[in-house]
Amino acid sequence: MAGAFKGCQKIRGPQIRSLMEAKDFFLFDCDGVIWHGEQAVPGAAKVVSALISRGKNVVFVTNNSTRPRENYVHKFSRLGFTDVMLEQIFSSSYCSALYLRDVAKVRGQVFVIGCDGLRRELQEAGIPCVGEEDDPAATIYNCALAPDVKAVLVGHDDKLTFLKLAKASCFLRDPECLFLATDNDPWHPLSGGRILPGSGSLIAALEVASGRKATVIGKPSRFMFECISSQFRGVDPAKCLMVGDRLETDMLFGFNCGLDTMLTLTGVSQVEEAEEYRNSELTTNHSFVPDYVVDSIADFLPAFEELDEQSN
Amino acid sequence: MSAAKCTRLTGSLAKQLLDSVDSVLFDCDGVIWRGEQAVPGAAEVIHLLKERGKTVVFVTNNSSKTRRMYADKMSKLGFEVREEEVFGTAYCSAVYLRTVCELRGKVYLIGSRAMEQELEAVGIQQTGVGPDHVAGKPADWASVPLDPEVRAVVVGFDEHFSYMKLNRALQYLSQKDCLFVGTNRDSRLPLEGGKAVPGTGCLLQAVETAAQRQAQTVGKPNHFMFDCVASQFSVDRDRCLMVGDRLDTDIMLGSNCGLKTLLTLTGVSTVAEAEAHQKSGCAERQGMVPDYYVESIADLLPALQG
Repeated sequence: MAGAFKGCQKIRGPQIRSLMEAKDFFLFDCDGVIWHGEQAVPGAAKVVSALISRGKNVVFVTNNSTRPRENYVHKFSRLGFTDVMLEQIFSSSYCSALYLRDVAKVRGQVFVIGCDGLRRELQEAGIPCVGEEDDPAATIYNCALAPDVKAVLVGHDDKLTFLKLAKASCFLRDPECLFLATDNDPWHPLSGGRILPGSGSLIAALEVASGRKATVIGKPSRFMFECISSQFRGVDPAKCLMVGDRLETDMLFGFNCGLDTMLTLTGVSQVEEAEEYRNSELTTNHSFVPDYVVDSIADFLPAFEELDEQSN
Repeated sequence: MSAAKCTRLTGSLAKQLLDSVDSVLFDCDGVIWRGEQAVPGAAEVIHLLKERGKTVVFVTNNSSKTRRMYADKMSKLGFEVREEEVFGTAYCSAVYLRTVCELRGKVYLIGSRAMEQELEAVGIQQTGVGPDHVAGKPADWASVPLDPEVRAVVVGFDEHFSYMKLNRALQYLSQKDCLFVGTNRDSRLPLEGGKAVPGTGCLLQAVETAAQRQAQTVGKPNHFMFDCVASQFSVDRDRCLMVGDRLDTDIMLGSNCGLKTLLTLTGVSTVAEAEAHQKSGCAERQGMVPDYYVESIADLLPALQG
């Protein structure tokens, strides 16, 4: 019966404490959750440290495909998160490389529309890429097409050109050629309420050109959770909490993987949007609804203090 | 009720059809030419139709040429055509912005020089045409300077399409009162040399996805192209024939405007596809079922020469 569906529970102090006792695996989105650009969300570094020092597993799950994981390690360090290691970082570019190597087991080249960060992850996984800069005079009518392309992988690409779209369309005419997307986010937020076109817009162009649907690696697809489960022992969805700021990616991801979800209001989605999904007659919209809501992950801090007091 | 549809047009039926119409609208790609080659017999068909006093116009979703450029191409291929008889989406989009949108202000254009020229011809200035690459950092792109006079984003076919153009369009479209117009949604250009060239529909979908907004499209199957023709030629819908090679644009336009429709098989769509729409039982798909079909428009010659 409509209206009986729960979710969107704003929680503080004691409830957060119970949640932290019940969960042993915390998955955090990055942009809008633990940082905004080059600014850490106040209190975020302390929260991460506190969770780790209490023996909780903490991983970071981001759709951002522009940086290799080493860069993320440096960024964490720069922003005051002192104990974050490479193994805790799951980006859509890293997971795309894993997919190509371990799931698709691609033999042949991958045509990449994406940044250097994406190419580096592929190269580190031993996957040959093509698709870098073209001769400015080249057109689709006179350009050579690389042979032996077995997959097209599309991510954020600020050097996108018409020629890249045209080449990708040609490769995708072969139904055996895989069509992969790092993520499907239509736009990415920057600080100050500004936005930039996301990978989703490039994917949309190619889906129209090819008449095919891309396989999406990043959230809300389950694949990144499968990567995490294969690299950590004993991951139990019932003991995981997914913390994110975007209903259509983070919350849906959590739902798809059977995890409890928490929306933090320091990023993209507003609580009103969550409530609209919750009140919707369409039950599929309920998958976007977070179980819990906090203003910021800094709301975890008082709960740690209480836990400390209790154990003293 | 209309007669049985998807009928092969032969012999006397062709003569009856031609006698029942005073105006004929032709698509171009895949109908009267393929790439740079005229369809054999096409020029003669057009000549004879005109000789019999029919109004003959050309309606194409292609936005990369002005009316003048089309007329020039057609002359080279042996067609007797005047500039005023050609309706491409570069021209029709400009007319749409001027007369329907009553646009005051500039256009941010993702499109061709031809579109720029047609806009200029109706007194609308554009910004954005030509190559445009990123420079600087993401924060710079989101803060890219916007021309305060821009009141509409227009997307047509653009070989210089780039992330930066997509970005600028997104920034303009974030302004609620900015109009959003696309020339057409064709997903692919006609195949040349075995390569698939993404069409305007791809570029438009990219912008629509980033901006989370839908564009108003001008080209077939939207009825605007027909309205444009009808505003300049006296056309009686009941005595008008649309000839095309694409079910989802040409035939759909004909159905939307109550015209008779003829599919020619020298282009994109097949009879099997038309029959599939017919058998589907889906009301929307019936609009893509042509009244008649021919292998090539040259099949009309016997009826015209007799």
